[in-house]
Amino acid sequence: MIAKGFSLDELAREAFSNLRGQGRRSLLALLGVVIGSAAIVALMNIAYIAQATTLKSFQQTGVDVLSIQLEAPGGRGIDIPGLKALVADDADALMAAPYAATTSMVAAGSRIQSATVAGITPMMEQVAHLPLEQGRRLEAIDACSRVAVVGNKLASGLSSPGAAIVPGQVIHIGAYGYTVVGVLKAVAYQSLSPIPYDDAVLIPLECARQVMPGDGATGALVRLRTTADSAAAVDRYTAALSTPQAPVRVQDARSMIETMKKQMSLLGGVLIAIGSISLLVGGVGVMNVMLMTVMERRREIGLRAAIGATPNEIRMMFLIEAILLTVAGGLLGDVLGVLLTWVATLFLPFDFGVNWMVLFLGAGVAAGVGLIFGLYPAISASRISPIEALRGD
Amino acid sequence: MCNEWGRANVPIQPSMIEIKDVSKRYGEIFALSEISASIGSGEFVAIVGNSGSGKSTLMNVLGVMDGDFSGSVRMFDVEVSDLSAAAAARLRNERIGFVFQSFHLLPRLAAWENVALPLLHRGVRREERKVRALAMLDRVGLADRVDHRPEQLSGGQRQRVAIARALVGEPRLILADEPTGNLDSRTGAQIMALFRALNRELGVTVVMVTHDREIAAQCDRAIEIRDGRVQQPEVAR
Repeated sequence: MIAKGFSLDELAREAFSNLRGQGRRSLLALLGVVIGSAAIVALMNIAYIAQATTLKSFQQTGVDVLSIQLEAPGGRGIDIPGLKALVADDADALMAAPYAATTSMVAAGSRIQSATVAGITPMMEQVAHLPLEQGRRLEAIDACSRVAVVGNKLASGLSSPGAAIVPGQVIHIGAYGYTVVGVLKAVAYQSLSPIPYDDAVLIPLECARQVMPGDGATGALVRLRTTADSAAAVDRYTAALSTPQAPVRVQDARSMIETMKKQMSLLGGVLIAIGSISLLVGGVGVMNVMLMTVMERRREIGLRAAIGATPNEIRMMFLIEAILLTVAGGLLGDVLGVLLTWVATLFLPFDFGVNWMVLFLGAGVAAGVGLIFGLYPAISASRISPIEALRGD
Repeated sequence: MCNEWGRANVPIQPSMIEIKDVSKRYGEIFALSEISASIGSGEFVAIVGNSGSGKSTLMNVLGVMDGDFSGSVRMFDVEVSDLSAAAAARLRNERIGFVFQSFHLLPRLAAWENVALPLLHRGVRREERKVRALAMLDRVGLADRVDHRPEQLSGGQRQRVAIARALVGEPRLILADEPTGNLDSRTGAQIMALFRALNRELGVTVVMVTHDREIAAQCDRAIEIRDGRVQQPEVAR
């Protein structure tokens, strides 16, 4: 036989020109597919962004860290020597970095603003890996001197023309003047640390009580060995440090990540449910449109069959038409999904971003819907008898 | 691609189509009853009968669109009832050109695209399709109407487009079902003249189904069907 049949690109060309003839009706049927794939794209993209943000929020401290915090500030606080002894005896722990944090007014020249004041030990630098922009870190030798390291945002907030916050400047915390010895680089939000470094003044812990409401530490970071069982460590430290007067809460990075994942999967479940229902509705809509198209084009189908289109070719023609239709919906869904992601980032502590793989997935899922729901109309088209369809001359 | 019309000057060969004892019934009614006939290559034959005579059923059998009958139909050395749906479609595409009473042009396609449709389903590239379609439109006298849509054409012009479509795949057989039925008598006569010219010049076999005995009289030979039977003897003209 000479014939090699209807080629795929020709089929696609035919399907495309047929779709253009359909116009508005196709668009309406697509609404479900658009919403469904948008929901899926938005979900996947938000999950992607959330994961990236989460990873970033543990970047500085790492995941092998415990965060110990007083349940309620004030009073005696966490017993620092006790904590140090505990860590020294713990084979799973490397070091402890106690801190005391409070909110206070900080002034420099005529500028004044509210900031977190945190008394830290040099250990904190080692646990939290804080990057310096200029000057130096707090050292053990600073002990009771009035020196401070200023967070990046706070430094620019307190700077005034001609009086930038640079090492050597003096700032006031309450009634005390502190000499700035260093300025930090901007630090991304850190899940485990209660100190917002960008908006904080770091001073030596030893004499911090001068500007603090209470004694002792309000919290501590403990670095564990990478092999440590962090869940067991949480229980151990909670038991050892909690007193009836000052209960503490201990968190580990791993369980915090778990909690975030759980929240994400709940959100994901809701979005997938919405997406699936929309896709189902959209798929039925597409099936409906395709069945109408097949009915309207009975004569054309009959004619094509008479002049030599095989049932398989006719089936493919309508299947490709359905898939093109839903892929168009999927692409619109991609756009809408990215838009939804952007809106979500306005309310969530995430930076906007797009995972390109997710966009392919959105269009791919839509194509799958076209394939599944286009199959029945396509098969019914291929079963139209040319004799019946061309009758009625 | 081999040119089937290369055989144009070969004398008529017997039995390009060999119909033997073909019967078909719908319930209790026999649409076709033990029909036997043979049509040679290059003939110009009418199948004539009144409405309900079974001539349309016979047309469907000869068009390889209906394989559900008893008896035997051999066309182009192939037993038609043995063919799968896909093989029947391929046979129609390569060997048979169809012309219908109501033209059956696709309204959204230009004339040349309508003509090229059989080639599309044969897998011929677009450029070649266009060249061949234009040549065929020229052949039927519509060289200046190639980009017109069917609605912009008169009935006679539409039927010419349909004839060009039937011819574009270089078939060995043209099956025309009441091709002048929707045309006025003058246009009908022009269409008949066109069929006659194509038959003579290209050597393509033409089988025309009609209820109109005047039309049938213009063919070389008429096979008359009445109540699903061939009226014997065949009337030689």
